[in-house]
Amino acid sequence: MRITYRFAWISTIATYVVIFTGGLVRVSGAGLGCPDWPRCFGRWIPPLSQSQLPPSVDPSQFNFTLAWIEYANRLCGLVLGILIATTAVLVIVNFAKRARILVPAIAAGLLVAFLGWQGGKVVTSELDPTVVSVHALLSVLLASLMIFVTQHIHYVLHPDAEKGSIYPARIRFWLSLAWGLSLAQVLVGTQVRGSIEIISKIMPLADDRVWLSNAGPVLYLHTILGILVIAAGTLIGLSIILRSTSPSSLMWEGAWAILLLLFLDIVLGFGFLLTGVPALMEILHLWVSSFLVGLLLMMRSGAIQKERVAS
Amino acid sequence: MSDRGRFPKGLFTAVLSALALMVVAAIVVDRAESSREALPVYGKVPDFAFTECRGGIFGLKDMLGNVCVVDFIFTRCQGPCPIMADKFRDLYRSYQGTGDIKLVSISVDPDYDTPQVLRQYASDQGVTDDRWVFLHAQKDDVVRLSEKGFMLPADELPAGHSSRFVLVDRKGQIRGYFCSDDDGCFNVLKAQIRQLYHEAS
Repeated sequence: MRITYRFAWISTIATYVVIFTGGLVRVSGAGLGCPDWPRCFGRWIPPLSQSQLPPSVDPSQFNFTLAWIEYANRLCGLVLGILIATTAVLVIVNFAKRARILVPAIAAGLLVAFLGWQGGKVVTSELDPTVVSVHALLSVLLASLMIFVTQHIHYVLHPDAEKGSIYPARIRFWLSLAWGLSLAQVLVGTQVRGSIEIISKIMPLADDRVWLSNAGPVLYLHTILGILVIAAGTLIGLSIILRSTSPSSLMWEGAWAILLLLFLDIVLGFGFLLTGVPALMEILHLWVSSFLVGLLLMMRSGAIQKERVAS
Repeated sequence: MSDRGRFPKGLFTAVLSALALMVVAAIVVDRAESSREALPVYGKVPDFAFTECRGGIFGLKDMLGNVCVVDFIFTRCQGPCPIMADKFRDLYRSYQGTGDIKLVSISVDPDYDTPQVLRQYASDQGVTDDRWVFLHAQKDDVVRLSEKGFMLPADELPAGHSSRFVLVDRKGQIRGYFCSDDDGCFNVLKAQIRQLYHEAS
């Protein structure tokens, strides 16, 4: 039981690490660092120098740094796949009767395998915006599944985790709303990126601030949704901090974490307006957003657990 | 605080690990960017002066100050040339907002490709200005420019010409060779054109 929990917990962290490395591939422009898949320039270990390239490959296509960034993401993904598969097997063995844990664990196992395969499509489609968006979106979904599994194993091991805590009324509703909005926000965000990519083809030489300002209606939608997420999140965070009685550490630290993430997102939002989309800010933005989605889901489960304990 | 310490190991640890990861990200992004900045210099385009199909002379001095993509073609060619022309048409359309990205197509079949034939070919490609030029010269001069200048094979012309695209920066330096039959190569070419375009300006 405990070992299952450990694996689930580590897999959840690992999912965010791979979301991070995937974002890093994206912002460093290393997506085609290895032009083939699953191997890299026809090798299982990417070339260390031009002399290791197969003769059919144009040496000007090879960039050592970009090839290894791309390949590191694939290796991290492979490790993640093994971790999640192990977790799924442990769940099947130990929690076969608990559908709430079993179903998302198996779904995560299937999804991570699918993501690995689909990652190959990202490369062979030469970074088609839609394929990249689906890849990013499914990764965030995978993180949500793993959080759900981990948290519910935790509640099996600690059935009284939310005993004695009292939260403001209707907090579950607000958490559900904010979670839905933040997930929609990720979806729209991938569309903003896709739109910028199309603009960059039309205006290939403009700098990225110009690309951003031409992203069109999808960027307005992203901004408006962002304001709504910020409003709902601030409300949730403040009301838990100010108006709950003996909250669990999950809800207490979660509330502070929401406020911190929202503050970062506001700073980043203004930063984008001023400077375009520099790589480091883009990856921070990706990360903050995927964390926010996971955190809101986690706290929503916490609020539901509270209701379950109470009834 | 009924359950402190077990599930989330504390916001503080999370923030610290996030900061550590951002440092990693900064290093990786920086390395990726500097690895791209280091576009090699393969050589310098030698001085030449060929006839442009719409009249006048076009040579190295017309390339200087512009980012140029050079290829060797001939109008009767049924092999790689139609694909090469497709790609050049794409570039020609993509960069229509700017005058200082030039496409240079040099005929390897000068006996057939008179300036008149080239002019017709240019208009078939939809070329209306001097952002894409078509050059005519004596065969010996073309062979010399291809082999000595651009380091591309030119045996048994016209069929033996190279199908590579050559990327030349504003100083007339050769910065990259690209296969013309692959979309991956082509995307890299576009990215490097953008990079060279911003390098000097």
